Amino acid sequence: MTIHLPPVPQRHAGAAGSGAALYAAVARLGFRRPFAYPQAALWGVVTNAFFGLLRVSVLAALFGVRPQVAGYSVTDAVTYTALTQAFIVALALFGWTDFMRTIHRGEVGTDLLRPMNLLGFWAAQDAGRAAAQFVLRGLPMLLIFQVGAAFTGGGLHWPAGPLAWTQTILSAALAWACGFLFRFLVNCAAFWSPDAAGFGRFAWALLGLGCGFLMPLAFFPAWAQAALACTPFPSMLNTTVELWLGLRSGPGAWVALGTQLAWTAALLALTAFTLRRGLRRLEVAGG
Amino acid sequence: MASGHTEGRRSGGSLDSLRHHTRLYFRLLGAQVRSQGAYRTSFLLDSLGTLLITAAEFAALALVLPRFGSLSGWTLGEVCLLYGLAELAFVLMDILFGGFDAPNLSGHVRSGSFSTFLLRPGPLPLQVFASDFALRRVARVVLAAAIAGYGLTHAGLSLNAETALLLLSSVLGMIAFFGALFVVGGTLTFWTVDSVEAMNVLTYGGRTLISYPMDIYGRALRRTFTFIIPAAFLSYFPVLRVLGRPLPDGLPDWAALLPLPVGLLALSAALSFFRFGVRHYQGTGT
Repeated sequence: MTIHLPPVPQRHAGAAGSGAALYAAVARLGFRRPFAYPQAALWGVVTNAFFGLLRVSVLAALFGVRPQVAGYSVTDAVTYTALTQAFIVALALFGWTDFMRTIHRGEVGTDLLRPMNLLGFWAAQDAGRAAAQFVLRGLPMLLIFQVGAAFTGGGLHWPAGPLAWTQTILSAALAWACGFLFRFLVNCAAFWSPDAAGFGRFAWALLGLGCGFLMPLAFFPAWAQAALACTPFPSMLNTTVELWLGLRSGPGAWVALGTQLAWTAALLALTAFTLRRGLRRLEVAGG
Repeated sequence: MASGHTEGRRSGGSLDSLRHHTRLYFRLLGAQVRSQGAYRTSFLLDSLGTLLITAAEFAALALVLPRFGSLSGWTLGEVCLLYGLAELAFVLMDILFGGFDAPNLSGHVRSGSFSTFLLRPGPLPLQVFASDFALRRVARVVLAAAIAGYGLTHAGLSLNAETALLLLSSVLGMIAFFGALFVVGGTLTFWTVDSVEAMNVLTYGGRTLISYPMDIYGRALRRTFTFIIPAAFLSYFPVLRVLGRPLPDGLPDWAALLPLPVGLLALSAALSFFRFGVRHYQGTGT
């Protein structure tokens, strides 16, 4: 990372002139970084494909001879697995501790010197990272599942028509935004605790169950679904999957997107507030 | 961390040295336990988080299974038996072999602290064994035991000495087998760190694979994990036997009695590989 000696970075601010270009530059760098580790991506795809195969086996065995359960056909269940495996790294469903680390190491002090909003800086970086990981790992995963399903005489369920595609893509963007704000909020625990990793582990486990990564939420008993509907977790993955599969369409699709938007706004307010409080008590040890 | 007065005692009788090494091992663990207990709240949250990972994964299955009735003919109690045994063995293995896990051992190799192990007057494997004892995992052992216990009481099997012995050897066999995979993965990091993800397929993938009845997988996958990677011998065959079901692929009944030999064979091969790796270890120059 470069260190700008003058308090106001001369090149970025001068050449770009506006904040938006600066965030775009950060996002672009965030996008390029995962491409530096192609081997990691390759092994990641192999691992995800293997776990995907195991998960598909469990779901198929659960279906048995039933053609449909809770609105899901077997093809839907296979598509669900492909999508969740494709989104693991892009949406950081196993957790994310990058911001936490900069607090513990004091690097957050350097980041605060940048002429950007700290939350915006991280959001731009993570948006770039997520997009790259979807291209590197997500798209190959969908391709592998499509080819694998074709071998057994099936295929994946794809969004039907331009409207469904638009809604699904919007929903995926909102799932990223909602998930990013939740991850960032959890990372803020590092302002208060010297070891926020344990708190993080707790939060990531909740996320995995609540967002529908482990099982489609529609399969859960009614009481569990009702309880999860009061949390932002379904907005971080499950809604996108249901829009993709067409389980929510017509007005229901817009309601789903509106819910995601509302949770994103609420999390944004909460995260920004928590970050302000956290920064107020921040003390970076000199060196 | 290690006590400095170990050199002179090496020449003693083998029983003496075993006692000494056991004491040394627990000394090293004690030091880690003390350091991990220093922050009480953080430790509690960490334990709870670790516990919740297993709880969430299991809850996803337990909440969904009743809606479907069964998993390819296996009831919730029967699946719990398989799932609980695999989880119990894997957590115990993680506690025992955590030091060999690739991220941990490669961390020691890269930072140079592995070279420190070589300089210390204690046996090398023993130091690695004791280098990553995560106390927080103990909470997971309790949950895994509870799941297995639910399975034992709800799978409709007769609890007798043979069942108990078979299930015990299954758990011990799994500990040895997955421990072997950890040792191999850790040893590979002497040469490369790229292998870590590949080993995850075998360790965590293998654990997930054997947590469910293996008849749900396609024939090719099941045969691969029977005849090439003998994971099916560890818990699937013993559980089939205690449930009074025949083994697949025309295997004889006594194949269900093999989890311990299979596990120990894998472990002894893995430890030889570790010794080979250490002989070729060159250090990082730190």
